[in-house]
Amino acid sequence: MAVSEWDEKVSMKVEFFATLLFISRSITSVSLSYLTSSAKISFRQLCTLAWTYLRLMHWLEYGRHGNGNKTLSSESTESKSSLLIIIYTLNPLIILPSLARSTSSVDNAVLLTAICLACEWSTSEVASPAHKETEVSSPSLTDKVDQATPPFALGALFFLALRTHLSIDALILVPPMFMLIFSSPASRLRRPGPFKYAQKYDRPYSFLRQDFVEISLFHITMDGTCCVSFYFRASVIPLMRLSRYLFDFLIQKTNSLTLPSLTPNPGVWWYFFTEMFDHFRPFFLMVFSLHLLLYVAPICIKFQHDPLYSIFILIGILATLKPYPTLSDHGLFVGMWVVMSEVHPYLRHPLPTLLTLLHSSLLQPLFAHLWLTHGTGNANFYYASTLVGACAGGLGIVDSIWAGLRIAVEKGRVETKPWRKRRLSRNNNLEMCM
Amino acid sequence: MLKTSLVIFLLLFNSVFCIKQAAEEFEENLSLKSLRDGRVTSSFSFKTLLRDAAPRDPRTLALDNDDSQHYTLFPLTLGQILRQYAITELHLTLNAGKWNYESWGYPDESGVGVGAELWAWMADGSPSSIDERWQGLRNALAGLFCASLGSLDEQRTTSPRQSFPPQGDLPDWGLPHELRHASHASEHVCTENLTPFLKLLPCKSLSGLATLLNPHRIFDADWHGIGLHVLWLPEGVEVRLNVQLVSDPLRISSTNKQDWSFHSLFDRKVDQACPIAKTSRVAVELPSSGFYRVHPEPLEIKDGQAYYNLKIANEAWNIGTMWPTDFEYPLSKPNQALVPFSVQRSLRGSTQDRGELSIVVTNHQQNTLQLRYLETMPWIIQFYLHTIRVHSDGVLKNDLISNISYVLPVAHSRPATFESILTLPGGSNLTFTMNVAKAFLRYTEHPPDAQRGWDLPPAVFTPLLQSRDDSIGRIYTPSLLVDLATPDFSMPYNVIMFTCSVVAFIFGSVFNVLTRKFVVVRLEPTEIQDN
Repeated sequence: MAVSEWDEKVSMKVEFFATLLFISRSITSVSLSYLTSSAKISFRQLCTLAWTYLRLMHWLEYGRHGNGNKTLSSESTESKSSLLIIIYTLNPLIILPSLARSTSSVDNAVLLTAICLACEWSTSEVASPAHKETEVSSPSLTDKVDQATPPFALGALFFLALRTHLSIDALILVPPMFMLIFSSPASRLRRPGPFKYAQKYDRPYSFLRQDFVEISLFHITMDGTCCVSFYFRASVIPLMRLSRYLFDFLIQKTNSLTLPSLTPNPGVWWYFFTEMFDHFRPFFLMVFSLHLLLYVAPICIKFQHDPLYSIFILIGILATLKPYPTLSDHGLFVGMWVVMSEVHPYLRHPLPTLLTLLHSSLLQPLFAHLWLTHGTGNANFYYASTLVGACAGGLGIVDSIWAGLRIAVEKGRVETKPWRKRRLSRNNNLEMCM
Repeated sequence: MLKTSLVIFLLLFNSVFCIKQAAEEFEENLSLKSLRDGRVTSSFSFKTLLRDAAPRDPRTLALDNDDSQHYTLFPLTLGQILRQYAITELHLTLNAGKWNYESWGYPDESGVGVGAELWAWMADGSPSSIDERWQGLRNALAGLFCASLGSLDEQRTTSPRQSFPPQGDLPDWGLPHELRHASHASEHVCTENLTPFLKLLPCKSLSGLATLLNPHRIFDADWHGIGLHVLWLPEGVEVRLNVQLVSDPLRISSTNKQDWSFHSLFDRKVDQACPIAKTSRVAVELPSSGFYRVHPEPLEIKDGQAYYNLKIANEAWNIGTMWPTDFEYPLSKPNQALVPFSVQRSLRGSTQDRGELSIVVTNHQQNTLQLRYLETMPWIIQFYLHTIRVHSDGVLKNDLISNISYVLPVAHSRPATFESILTLPGGSNLTFTMNVAKAFLRYTEHPPDAQRGWDLPPAVFTPLLQSRDDSIGRIYTPSLLVDLATPDFSMPYNVIMFTCSVVAFIFGSVFNVLTRKFVVVRLEPTEIQDN
């Protein structure tokens, strides 16, 4: 395979380079903060390093344990994961939020942990049919632990619930995450078909009896405390009064959908609702929120054969269309785009997408500075650059969906030079058209 | 028999009538003082005391009818408002200008914050909540004074109990009393506020000291303000209306003399004292140095003040002071500062998204001074409390600030209340800095002149006194102007169009690609060669 050859060529250098870069970036961030705040290394900076390290380890784990896009040999997996580390670490959209000590890095870490654990759970049981009988006979959780299969699914759902608590918009990732847990993260884009449960779920009744009950009960417990608290919120019994506070706390989480703060951010919501008259505000808030929800079902249905890909696309949609996007949302989308490397040959316009993103990313800080600090620009300058950023996000999403579907048509075809224009072989009389 | 019974009946009737009528007293007072820089401060005070009266218990608000109130001197409209909302204590001031504490000293009435300031103590316990009564009070006073006090809504209302303690007594009903305070720094005061103000006086502006209140001269003064104070004292309910102004006789005099008189200051003379006033007094503070003459001859001179009683002689009163020499502006600072501490407040920073709030307090005395610093900041300015730095004479000393109490602002509904106690060592300069962030407002929240900026209410400094010396009162800083980032006001339609287009483009493209069916089409070989 041509890609693995390339990987082997740079594997050693990549490892070394990766560690060097990591060390240098940590030093850079520490020294920058030292210069700006003229303080010794404080707890905050240690936290920054901890965050980046955490993300890095998760990414490493994620890459190594095989999001399973290809069935590769172990060396190429190693070097590929190093490549992933480099690209994720070097991504300025990831570096800048962690330098700014933003909590969006933590959001990313939590989400990546959830995906990683879901992949672990799925891949750990795939090649072990011998466990099937024992699972059926012993439905308790402790037996699973005895069989050295830790409850990764519960961990994945726990982290996803945590991510939803951090920002309510991650709710759209819940259905594909469930689908990922029940199936495998191995890339089946080339073989689209109906949703298949993983091998361990071949007997649907066992599935209903054990895992589904445990897993969904856990997730419902995390976010479903609002159900309990909803019923008891007016109660005067002290124990139940806790439910009322919990209900208020959980309802406060949806506050971000009413857009209380109109601070400029690289998204499309803030200026729209700045210029909105009060009469129309509730209607458009509802429209924008529902708009986000509309993408979940079609994408999950269309990509039911590869739920990891649907998570990837929904992350892209979140990055573009959520109420308070941050740079690290776009950074995560770009990072995952690198992971899905088998669709790269089928992208129609990767270069314009990247250039538009670059264009918008370079212009946004400039125009924000002109408007707010310098006083010579207008709010419209920055708004235009965020529109360009939304276009870039849209281009990326559409291209990814197209490539994910396109790859299924060309079966077993290997690209030698992925970035060159495809040449039709004379012997092959097939041409793809719509 | 019939005659005696009639006489007895009339006596009883009269006595009953006398018991029902409370005694009311009206006093008017004017104090004038020449300042160091040639200006003259005049402070009018009109007090109406309703003897043996008490504020209304808010629990009686549940009953729709009230005891009928009969007033002769007490203003009826104000009394009705006070009883309608069961207000225990009320203070309203409408001021314009910046009171220069270093040059002018302390004012007679300490409420000199610029703009409109309204604060009231009310007891809980009525069927309607305190906030509803507060809103009713604001709207009623807005109607009474023709001032836009209705804009002192929840976005400007706070409850700083420590800095605004009740000046009178609070009735002991066993109900908790609450304070509501609101200020609006960009409110203007003009003749249409003065006219209903004068209507609250028993003699209006026809006789007594109120005849001096000439709107042309009052609102031409360097600093002017009117105030209304309702207190409950042991004697009864007192309503005190006051007008303060700082005029500049040098500006209007043709010669370079700081002579002043009623005629030169107010363009009027007092023809007749108010007949129903119990006392009608004028107090002129005699200058401490130099040659001067006070005319006419005062009734008595006591403690450096010349007192006149306007009720004695029925002639036109034109009280004034004359100096033989021209006025020389004092270029050197006074030996002893007129106030023990002075404050400067500023909002630094040139960007429209963040700034720095900076307070510089100077202690002119040699002993340590403790001040309570109150900041009621609208939600458009958000504090970062972790960036508070206190420097004393250039040295960082964060322990000089203590007892920080902070009520968080809520966007679009509640201002921030920040109270702390600053300790100033003797003769030192204390600098307090804190980073702030400026908010971004909606299109409809910006005022019509959005580029002017927003007026921030003044900060209040109250000295904490070890001794029981009540002469030092609150100090108000001037208001600040903050410039917020504005969106483009000409573009609501364009923005909605662009954003909706981009979102629709994304939506359409995504669903276009999602619903496509990929089909393999076989082409003839000849067509490939042509391509």
